[in-house]
Amino acid sequence: MSMISLKEIYKIYNVGGEEVRALDGVDVTIGENEYLAIMGPSGSGKSTLMNMIGCLDTPTSGIYEFEGEMVNEMDDNQLASIRNRKIGFVFQTFNLLPKATAQHNVEIPLIYGNVRRDLRQSMAAGALESVGLGDRMHHKPNELSGGQRQRVAIARALVNNPSIILADEPTGNLDSKSGREIMEIFDALHQAGNTIILVTHEDYIAKHAHRTIRLFDGKVEEDISAAA
Amino acid sequence: MFSLFLENFRISLSAVLANKMRSLLTALGVVIGILAVTLMGTLISGLDRSFEKSMEFLGKDVLYIRKFEWFGNKEWWEMRNRPNIKIKHADVLRDRSQYAQYVAPVSEWYTSVKRGENDITGVRVTGTTDEYAMISTAEIDKGRFFSNSESRSGSRVAIIGKDIADNLFENENSIGKKLRIGNYTFRVIGEVEKQGKFLGMFSLDKQIIIPIGTHQRLFTRRGWTGINVKVDGTQMDNASEELTAMMRQLRHVRPTDENNFALNKQDPFKEQYAMIKLAIGGTGLFITILSLVVGGIGIANIMFVTVKERTREIGIRKALGATPKMILAQFLMESVTICLLGGLLGMGLAWGGSLIIDQYFPSDMPLGLAMTALGLSTVVGVVSGLAPSYKAAKLDPIDALRYE
Repeated sequence: MSMISLKEIYKIYNVGGEEVRALDGVDVTIGENEYLAIMGPSGSGKSTLMNMIGCLDTPTSGIYEFEGEMVNEMDDNQLASIRNRKIGFVFQTFNLLPKATAQHNVEIPLIYGNVRRDLRQSMAAGALESVGLGDRMHHKPNELSGGQRQRVAIARALVNNPSIILADEPTGNLDSKSGREIMEIFDALHQAGNTIILVTHEDYIAKHAHRTIRLFDGKVEEDISAAA
Repeated sequence: MFSLFLENFRISLSAVLANKMRSLLTALGVVIGILAVTLMGTLISGLDRSFEKSMEFLGKDVLYIRKFEWFGNKEWWEMRNRPNIKIKHADVLRDRSQYAQYVAPVSEWYTSVKRGENDITGVRVTGTTDEYAMISTAEIDKGRFFSNSESRSGSRVAIIGKDIADNLFENENSIGKKLRIGNYTFRVIGEVEKQGKFLGMFSLDKQIIIPIGTHQRLFTRRGWTGINVKVDGTQMDNASEELTAMMRQLRHVRPTDENNFALNKQDPFKEQYAMIKLAIGGTGLFITILSLVVGGIGIANIMFVTVKERTREIGIRKALGATPKMILAQFLMESVTICLLGGLLGMGLAWGGSLIIDQYFPSDMPLGLAMTALGLSTVVGVVSGLAPSYKAAKLDPIDALRYE
């Protein structure tokens, strides 16, 4: 069954009196435990689509259903709640809080999810261990390498046990070795049963995924599932 | 919800500590405001206590018949030209008045007092009768007051105030010892308990009481005279009326003329004091409000800067599931934290200030006022933090995440 279903999604901006169709009637369904890459040149609407799937943005028109919940009808509080419970974000620029330790960074979604302190700490420690940072829990981001920072971000995305993990150019700011390590983590997460959506413009990154959606001018140009 | 509260508090503290100088400068308005309000309160509470004590000295049921009005708008020279109060009228009032309980004539003169090598200048020497002891609220600490016969005769006996006792008889017992008042030798027969300063102006303890007969003989025609009358406290108005009528008769004031004497009591002091208190309170309140408003604007301004600087952080927090309300709470908490720290600093300074004021008259910082000050800081924090926090709460997560 489909976990995510986008039907006739339009996102239209008005830039200087001119209509810009960032998403121009997109239909996508994503099932549980899929490993999906969204590709396309810049300006194709892939970021907008990712924001839409990540419930950071709502469509101008169309229906977005996430595990049976109508996202397109939600207010800011409900969107915050669904992001907190069901979505784990991994960003190109890591987006860690610079003054907080790795452990504390990973705890933040749990704080907003109102998880008890002792439980929170053990969950965060577990998530950091699962990405191989058990010995770096009390380091601040500036004391970690790029690859380590991204692993903290992945731990943060995982800690709430979300329905999907959304990664926006996760290796874009990393050297190739760190990039490979990060992709290995994503592969392993997929093996473990997680649903992963990658946004990338690198073919070799997209190759890790089992399905690729190519966008062009706000429309789905191509939707290919690789033979598993 | 409590963990979120703690998290917000932690964020606030680390943000404030990360920008120590900025936080301090930002909070300065609040510091000054709280300093003003607590210092003013401390001052007033100290004044209150000092005033109550001074009023105790005057007594609430004593009328002071004098040439000069204590308060009023009579010309000074007009009062000066009035005939002096006659000592002998005291006896007439005592005999005839229905309301007077005790009547004591007083005659005052300032002179120097000597014992051996030590001397004190500007000592108030009061001549009076034994009834003075019944009218005065001050108790005799050591020895005794003089008797009726001593007060009429020219006995050279003296009751000394604490300042005199401390300075001339350091560790000795003064009773029975001799001292010189002006050019005359007196024997000390009593000491008055410590009374402190009158309205913080002059010491009530730098005085000597001697029999009026002696005073008249040795220091007469110098200084001034008056009559102190203690009446039934519930009959103050009737007593004033009666004594005024008697004094007019005794001083031959024609029915159409104004009184050529004054009937003073403590009430006008209270009225004057209430006005002074209002002036101090009003000034303090004005400074407080002004600095809190200015301080609040400063805090609002810096909070806008903070929100701008931390736009990215707000975006991250929103992406991770913070609702607009949670973001609002976070920045409100930060603004309140700055204000509370400012308030605490202001109170600390005020407390230090009150220790200094305490050197001059007894004062302490009232606890209720401290609580009010902290409450006020919180209010300033919330009010000035509201607009910036609302702006933070309303930020679009995508724009915030993209913000460089």
